[in-house]
Amino acid sequence: MLRKVFIGTALLATIILIISLIIQESRRVGSNQGYEPDQPIAYSHKVHAGDNKIPCLYCHFGAEQGRHAGIPPANVCMNCHSKIKKDSPEIVKLREAIDKNQPIDWIKVHRLPDFAYFNHSQHVTANVPCQECHGPVETMTRMRQDQPLTMGWCISCHRERGIMPPEEHQDLNRDKTKAIGGMDCAKCHY
Amino acid sequence: MNSDDKKYWKGLEELREEPQFLEVRSKEFPEEISQTTRRNFLKLMGFSFTGAALAACARMPVEKAIPFLIKPEEVVPGVANWYATTCAGCTASCGLLAKVRDGRPIKIEGNAESPLFQGGACAVGQATVLSLYDDERLKKPLWLGNAASWEEIDQSIGKELKDIVNRGGKIVILSGTIVSPTTRALLNEWCQTFTNARHVVYDAVSASAILSANEKSFGVKALPHYRFDLAKLVVGLNADFLGTWISPVEFTRAYTQHRMPSHDMTRHIQFESGMSLTGSNADRRIPINPSEEGPTALTLLKEISNLKSGAGSSNETAQDLWKHRGESLVVSGSNHVDVQIVVNAMNALLGNIGKTVDLDNVSLQKQGVDDEMNRLVDEMNRGEIQGLILYGVNPAYDFPDSDRFISGLKKVPCSVSFSDRLDETSSLVQAVCPDAHFLESWNDAEPVQGALSLTQPVLRPLFATRSAQESLLTWMGKNVDYYTYLRDYWREKIYPLSTGLYLTFDNFWDLSVQNGVLSLPAQTPTERNFSGSVPIAFQNPPKGLEVHLYEKIGLRDGRHANNPWLQELPDPVTKITWDNYAALSPKTASALGLEEGDVVLVKNDYVSLELPVQIQPGQAALTVSVALGYGRTHCGKAGNNVGVNAYPLIPHPTGFRVEKTGRKVALAATQTHHSMEGRPIVKETILAEYINNPSAGNEEHEKLLTLWEEWPKEGRAWGMSIDLNACTGCSACIISCQAENNVPVVGKDEVTRRREMHWIRLDRYYSGPEENPETVHQPMMCQHCGNAPCETVCPVLATVHSTDGLNQQVYNRCVGTRYCANNCPYKVRRFNWFDYAHNDQFDYTMNSELGTMVLNPDIVVRSRGVMEKCSLCIQRIQEGKLQAKREGRPLKDGEIRVACEQSCPAQAITFGDLNEKESRVAQQNHDGRFYHVLEELNVRPVVGYLTKVRNK
Repeated sequence: MLRKVFIGTALLATIILIISLIIQESRRVGSNQGYEPDQPIAYSHKVHAGDNKIPCLYCHFGAEQGRHAGIPPANVCMNCHSKIKKDSPEIVKLREAIDKNQPIDWIKVHRLPDFAYFNHSQHVTANVPCQECHGPVETMTRMRQDQPLTMGWCISCHRERGIMPPEEHQDLNRDKTKAIGGMDCAKCHY
Repeated sequence: MNSDDKKYWKGLEELREEPQFLEVRSKEFPEEISQTTRRNFLKLMGFSFTGAALAACARMPVEKAIPFLIKPEEVVPGVANWYATTCAGCTASCGLLAKVRDGRPIKIEGNAESPLFQGGACAVGQATVLSLYDDERLKKPLWLGNAASWEEIDQSIGKELKDIVNRGGKIVILSGTIVSPTTRALLNEWCQTFTNARHVVYDAVSASAILSANEKSFGVKALPHYRFDLAKLVVGLNADFLGTWISPVEFTRAYTQHRMPSHDMTRHIQFESGMSLTGSNADRRIPINPSEEGPTALTLLKEISNLKSGAGSSNETAQDLWKHRGESLVVSGSNHVDVQIVVNAMNALLGNIGKTVDLDNVSLQKQGVDDEMNRLVDEMNRGEIQGLILYGVNPAYDFPDSDRFISGLKKVPCSVSFSDRLDETSSLVQAVCPDAHFLESWNDAEPVQGALSLTQPVLRPLFATRSAQESLLTWMGKNVDYYTYLRDYWREKIYPLSTGLYLTFDNFWDLSVQNGVLSLPAQTPTERNFSGSVPIAFQNPPKGLEVHLYEKIGLRDGRHANNPWLQELPDPVTKITWDNYAALSPKTASALGLEEGDVVLVKNDYVSLELPVQIQPGQAALTVSVALGYGRTHCGKAGNNVGVNAYPLIPHPTGFRVEKTGRKVALAATQTHHSMEGRPIVKETILAEYINNPSAGNEEHEKLLTLWEEWPKEGRAWGMSIDLNACTGCSACIISCQAENNVPVVGKDEVTRRREMHWIRLDRYYSGPEENPETVHQPMMCQHCGNAPCETVCPVLATVHSTDGLNQQVYNRCVGTRYCANNCPYKVRRFNWFDYAHNDQFDYTMNSELGTMVLNPDIVVRSRGVMEKCSLCIQRIQEGKLQAKREGRPLKDGEIRVACEQSCPAQAITFGDLNEKESRVAQQNHDGRFYHVLEELNVRPVVGYLTKVRNK
């Protein structure tokens, strides 16, 4: 009898566990939160952005001008590394890539699906700190996707903070995101 | 005139209410619907659930991000650069801007700086960007059919040329019209380097007769620059100047300038054989057979001279012309010198020379002289030509007597072609040295004397191709690249003529390259008198039908036959895609017992062609119209064996009979799809009534209550207005939209199933008698209804309203019920029946790696089972808004230009904010001519139309 109860309880527990796992996992479907791949060059954001306090936009200048923040081209690295730490094995890899004219295959960490349009410059202009979406990058030795980057996550932020109204609608309440269309589908999906 | 009195019809089957048409019209779905059993349904359900569950388990694939090693300064990933260049789609040479995203050109637009073309670009010009990514382009030079390196080719050709010179043989460069002054100079120099070398110009569709007639009449062997902008009355004789004739973008811009309804609105009378785009826009259109061109012109001339001598005339057209002397223009597309001489005499008598017919700043857009080509082919056949270099021509396809050309070519020991592909001609030559695409090369152009334009490369050559000029320079032993040659030419010949203020030549050059266009001071007009004799009469044609040959808006002379965008572009009049056909008048067809789609033999004593019949209202009674440019056999997979080659008919256009073969084919027409069930969709009036009442023809408006809440009137409210009076139906907007929004090509079979994907279509309505109806063209796209019927029926909220008044389609939510398309009163929604981008059955553009390079990266490529439609170029709206926001300033009206609006040579489309009182679109909303289509449905669209006003 006891054995039957035990088996029954164990079975029930397993089923509940599986279901809860499914629910938990399915929430993450399509999200790569926590993704932290090895990169061809062991670049550390901690050293650059953390210890040496280089502004993000020095290297990721694209974030100010366009849709992609972009990975900096090797010539930007060489602005400093033609003088600093020339002999470090990782810098040697960089040097070799330039000499051989062989671009570096970085592994993409933050990925949005093709059907979502995201523009970095829009957010940088609105003074959203990079860390808001990318997490404490200045502490990461290896780059990691800190936030889920799902639609629900985008929307929740837009709901809370509203969006910066365009110049001519400064008279509108800043929170009236709806009035200026911050939540329209076709703001991101086209 | 009230539009209710008129019955509009889209096709003859609708006018005659044929039972088949009525049956199709009454059905919910025109095609058969397959029956699914419950068992199959469950199986499919189970399969999809498992599939979805399994798909969700997969890890995301690892993706790479590869930055530049050393970034060019002007390139920012994701930000487009625009470069000014010049179109080489035809010899009109419009100034263009090429949009380059991440190193590849993805869109072509007109250059607004260009004084001639003013920012317009035609369908062909815009589609040239797709030709760049054509997989059929040669990737290497060929020697005797085998791939070779440039060094080998140069060596072999150099040796051959030297041998020919040593034995004193003749060398000929056979080219199409060369609009580039530098290339012409280079060809001259080349011909001087080699003894016995000469340059022959051959145009498949030539204006040879105009050139010869002008030489006889005015002593100038040139094509005049026709000034439609100065003409108050235009009379056309089989000249399709809005569609294909000489410089359609320029002429459309100039023509529509004064076609706005007012007291001095331009009037247009067209005499023509087939129903052309130009004829469909005329205020009066008179069908004539091609052989009547001469007699018609002669009658007009006689009547005008009667009027001049004070004798008077009862001819309405002649009276009208005489009234507008000095500000009228008579143009003829005829290639008979005698007809052109009569036209010259008429223009001279009317005092138009030096005014609307400019012979001082002539057009250089057609330079071919037919006799020279004929002489060359004779010489070739006699074995007198030792070397033949073919540049931009394909006579084995488009020379009327192509067999004679081919037999001549076989007698030429050294033949070289610059063709970009292995076409009909280049597959017969010794060496093929593929020319680079114009977007890959440096060049210049001078379409009209004094109006210069530069071509700059916007990307590195994709393949091992070399521009023809570079090849010629190499073979003449000049150790200089074409860029330097071009720059030097401009330094020596053009810089001294320029009147602008420049510091140095470098400064002049940089600015010219940046602007793309340069205007030199115009020549002062000289007095020119008509001289020579006018023919007294024209010969009567032999008995039988006559053939009228014409070019189509899309394919033109056939050089763009492998461009699937152009193949699928519906003809603006017949709405047929992917084919040419024999157009017959309804009367002739019924007399011969023919129906639409019947395959017939069109034959006379010399030639015979097998073509399907198309019954064309307004067609001249004894004429069969056949389009040139079809029936290519060596252009590539998209265009091979589409239609029939009609060039062999050119020398023998009369004495035809039509014989039934008994076969029937389906023509892929978009004509009677999306029928609007006889409701007044287009409104029109005539000028006299409009002047009395600006809302003539547009008196009735429906003011209905709505149960829906009004959309809040704050923020932006995008809207559009389309002027039916300006729209000529040229279809440039269709290609512009297709390029901008990644619209797939579906092929002939799918079009016959009514599955074309164009987001914007041009509806063409006829009214009046079928022998000579009046025509209206109406661009139709998603009307972005305020109370959108599609939104209420979508079960998954995939189509919803935005706060700025747009009807949004969310692809990733759509499950493909197609309820929305069914409930759409305008029938503008398009369903993806297949995954056009990943299905080998649709091997047009998106299935090859090369073809995908033309895709706009800001727009999703839709997958199977998803509905799509016009988004009012939401990506452009977003881009414009963001730009303004980033710069901290309000948006200006006209700053955001949607693709169709931008490309329109007639400027018929206006986009803007309805909430901004001063915006052009808001102003037009209060115009007396403004109306919404199907107002009675109370769906409250934001796209509206302005009534058409006929000047009659």
